[in-house]
Amino acid sequence: MIADKKTRDILLNIKKDRGVYLEGNLLKLIKAEANDEEFEEYLQECIGRDKAVRVKRLDITKQVQKQNSTLIKNQEEITRINEELKTSLKLTEKTKCEAETAKETALNDLDLLQKKTQTELIGTIVKVALIVIVSVGVVSTGMYGLAIWKSKDTQIIGSAWSNMLSILLTNAFSIIGTIMGVKYATPDKTKNRRSR
Amino acid sequence: MIESILLVDDESLFHLVFEDACSLLDISLTLECVNSADEAANMFRRLYETGDRKPECVFVDLNIIGSSFDGIELVRKINFEYGNHVVIGMISSSNEIDEQKKAQLAGAQFWIVKSDEIEPRLEEFKKDYSNYKNRSAKFKVYN
Repeated sequence: MIADKKTRDILLNIKKDRGVYLEGNLLKLIKAEANDEEFEEYLQECIGRDKAVRVKRLDITKQVQKQNSTLIKNQEEITRINEELKTSLKLTEKTKCEAETAKETALNDLDLLQKKTQTELIGTIVKVALIVIVSVGVVSTGMYGLAIWKSKDTQIIGSAWSNMLSILLTNAFSIIGTIMGVKYATPDKTKNRRSR
Repeated sequence: MIESILLVDDESLFHLVFEDACSLLDISLTLECVNSADEAANMFRRLYETGDRKPECVFVDLNIIGSSFDGIELVRKINFEYGNHVVIGMISSSNEIDEQKKAQLAGAQFWIVKSDEIEPRLEEFKKDYSNYKNRSAKFKVYN
C-alpha cells in the first residue's frame, strides 16, 4: 500500500515535531512512492527502530521465561526434597519406635534374668539354712536321746536342747521372714518403666 | 508472508516471544494469541457459523493448562468438526514420538519443538509454509 502525500506529510511532521515514529505490523504494509527518498528513509528508520525494540523485548522476555523455568524447576526440586524429608522423618520415627520397643524388651529380659538369679540365690540360702537348722536339731536331739537312753543326767542337756530348738525355730522363721521381706519389698522396675 | 496466525498456548510469556519472533522474521502480518483450547474452539465454531475470515495458520500447544481438552483434540476439532482448511500444527516443548503420531492422525501438519531458540525453527517453517498451504508437505518435526 503506497501512502498518499497527505498521510506521508502527517507522518513526517509527527516525527519532526514530536519524535514519534510509526511502528508495528503497519510498517509491513505501507510503501513509499518510487522517487520519494525522504519517506523511504523514514520508513526504513521506523522499521529499524521497531526491530530494535522487538529484539530488546524478545531478549528480556526470553530471560524472564528462562528465570520462570528455573523457578519452576527449583520449586519442583524443593517439593521433591520436602517429600523425601517427610519420608525420612516417618522412617526415623518408625525406627525410633522399633528401637524403644527393643530396649523395653531387653530391659524386661534383664529384669527377668535378675529375678531368676535372685530366686535361685534365695533358694540356695533357704536350703543351706534349713540343712544347718535340721542338722543342729538332729544332732542335739540325738545327744538328748542318747543321754535319756543311757539314763544319764538330762537336766542340763534337756534345757540346752529345748533352748537350742526354740532358737533354731526362731532363726528359721527369721530367715524365712527376711527372705520373704526382701522378695516383696524390692521395688518393681517394670512398673516404674511403664509409668515413665 | 502469512496473513494471520493464531497461537493457542497457556503461557502468556511465550505469546510475547512468539509474536516478536514472528515479527522479526517477517513471518506474519497479524497474530492473535489465546490462552485456552476452549477459547480457540469457540472462536473457530463462531467463525464456522458466521463464515468470517479464519486465521490462515494455527499453532497449538500440546498441554494447555486450564482447558477441558488438550492441543491434539483441538487440532482434531478444527480439522474435522469445523471443516476448516487452515494450516495447523503443534508447538510444544515435548518431543515425544507417540504424541507426534497422535497429532499427525488428528490432522496436524507440523510439530515445532519449543525451546529458548525458537527463531531458527520458525525460519525453517517459513520456508516450508507454501507447501503446507497447498497440502503437499509431509508431516515434519522442527527440533
